[in-house]
Amino acid sequence: MLPDKLQALVRLLARLPGVGDKTAQRYALFLCTADPAIARELGLALAGLEAEVGPCTRCGHVADRSAAGGLCAICADPRRDGSVLCVVGRVQDLLSIERSAAYRGRYFVLGRLLAPLEGIRAEDLPLERLKALLRDPARPVTEVLLATPPSVDGEATALLLAEELRPLGARVTRLASGVPHGGDLEFADPVTIGRAIAHRRGVE
Amino acid sequence: MPDAVALDDRRTSHVALRELVVERVRNLDHLELEPAPGLNLIAGDNGQGKTSILEAIYLVATSRSFRTSRLAEVVAHGASVASVRAAVVELDGAAAADTPPGYVRHQSLGLDGARRVLRLDGEPPVSLAHYATRTPVVVFHPAELELSTGAPAARRELLDRVSLFQAPETSRHRAAYARALRSRRELLRLGSGARELEAFEAVLAEHGAALCRRRARACEALALEATAAFARLAPPELALGVRYEPGGSPDPELARAELARGRARDAGRPSPRFGPHHDDLGLTLDGRPARRVASQGQHRALTMALKLAERACIAAARGLEPILLLDDVSSELDRERSTALFALLGAGLGQVFVTTARPDLLADLPTGTSFRSFRVARGALVPAGG
Ligand SMILES: [Zn+2]
Repeated sequence: MLPDKLQALVRLLARLPGVGDKTAQRYALFLCTADPAIARELGLALAGLEAEVGPCTRCGHVADRSAAGGLCAICADPRRDGSVLCVVGRVQDLLSIERSAAYRGRYFVLGRLLAPLEGIRAEDLPLERLKALLRDPARPVTEVLLATPPSVDGEATALLLAEELRPLGARVTRLASGVPHGGDLEFADPVTIGRAIAHRRGVE
Repeated sequence: MPDAVALDDRRTSHVALRELVVERVRNLDHLELEPAPGLNLIAGDNGQGKTSILEAIYLVATSRSFRTSRLAEVVAHGASVASVRAAVVELDGAAAADTPPGYVRHQSLGLDGARRVLRLDGEPPVSLAHYATRTPVVVFHPAELELSTGAPAARRELLDRVSLFQAPETSRHRAAYARALRSRRELLRLGSGARELEAFEAVLAEHGAALCRRRARACEALALEATAAFARLAPPELALGVRYEPGGSPDPELARAELARGRARDAGRPSPRFGPHHDDLGLTLDGRPARRVASQGQHRALTMALKLAERACIAAARGLEPILLLDDVSSELDRERSTALFALLGAGLGQVFVTTARPDLLADLPTGTSFRSFRVARGALVPAGG
């Protein structure tokens, strides 16, 4: 029905999160019928993406690869409070916390949560990288704020991290509840996230 | 169809469906219903779609079905999507029956296979629990005659339905408990080390304890109402006892210790020995287990008392008399059941839907009771007499 090239594009688009076959087809048809400049610019942006953007070498947030030391904008910002480290599951969660403007410390992005039902185990978490950050005498961290989501996997990950990180000396805290439960930080409004940060509590 | 006059003596506020539109739910291809605010009678032979109408009402009100846990089964054969839309009003008991109701709420449920799309006044609801508590509804169907004699799962459901209205976060604890339970089982199966197990057991204990506290509270309210209702339905010298029998503990620390201790024993078992998935509602007659000593008639009265209690507890917690769905009032109707039915109809009185294959039974209704009646044949409404 569709030319092979277009079929291939539909299949690629359908691999994006939240994009089903119908939407993928709509996007593909749009790209080949609308102003060709859109497709061209999109193609260029995509082709250069991997070479130009990658994970921050320190925290795992997305960073410009050409930036000094491969650091993201937050790690490179000297006005950020380096004594507090906020551990999040995904980059989206980091962005939600940033939108709340309630937090001025730095981050660490796990990239995944403990999820035995999906085959994700403790050894799949970047624990050693996180510990190395906390052991760096040049940049002392006094508080680790665990901001994994309040889901079963998020809570279990926070508890495991608390156990693992406590011997390293920093105070371990957890977001106060109030963020919609079972859910994503991504969908919580900035005021709720701000409150959860302000009322964070120590993990015993 | 005759215009129904609302049932009188309505003191509490109640919730009522004003309009129902059903698309491709089971054998209902397209159905529109404008029910009376009081009693509605849905007549029809078996297999014509009477129960599916009640199921559609339950679906749009609660987002769940009372006939199946697999929502894909609800979608009509050969169709990929189904939907139910409802316009709902909250009627103030103090106001006259003909007062134009102020606010009409629109609720809808769409099913795309097993995927569920919910809308409250056109917007996605803030949570499932919020959606499911807008329009309280209590259903009584033939399978529930085993409420007092059957497996504990049905009695746990009863506790949780009440609890949902007392503390909506109950459903979140229940879902989290189930996931944590499966996670722990997987870790035990894999022979995981202690630190991951400890993390998931702590989460499991936390949600299990929360569930336990909420069920204890739900049981307290149910017990009060059920014993009072039972006294009206059964010989007064017979005392009903309703007690929460927890399978776990309300104390998360204790639950954690229990789970840690039970690891070796629980490995290879489908679920741990300890926890609220073993909860039950203990029912006694004069201090002896109802399961063993109750007669058939006493079981019926007991089940009826529990349903009356469910309705009363939900009404109290929500501040609104729920919609009542009574399915298949004709099957093996006996004296106890009809007496109980009229007891139910006489209690508080909100909107009621009754399905029956024998509309003549309604002749037993107290004189002066008005109702609107509908007739269903092959999944569609047909003009009804009465
Ligand atoms: Zn960084």
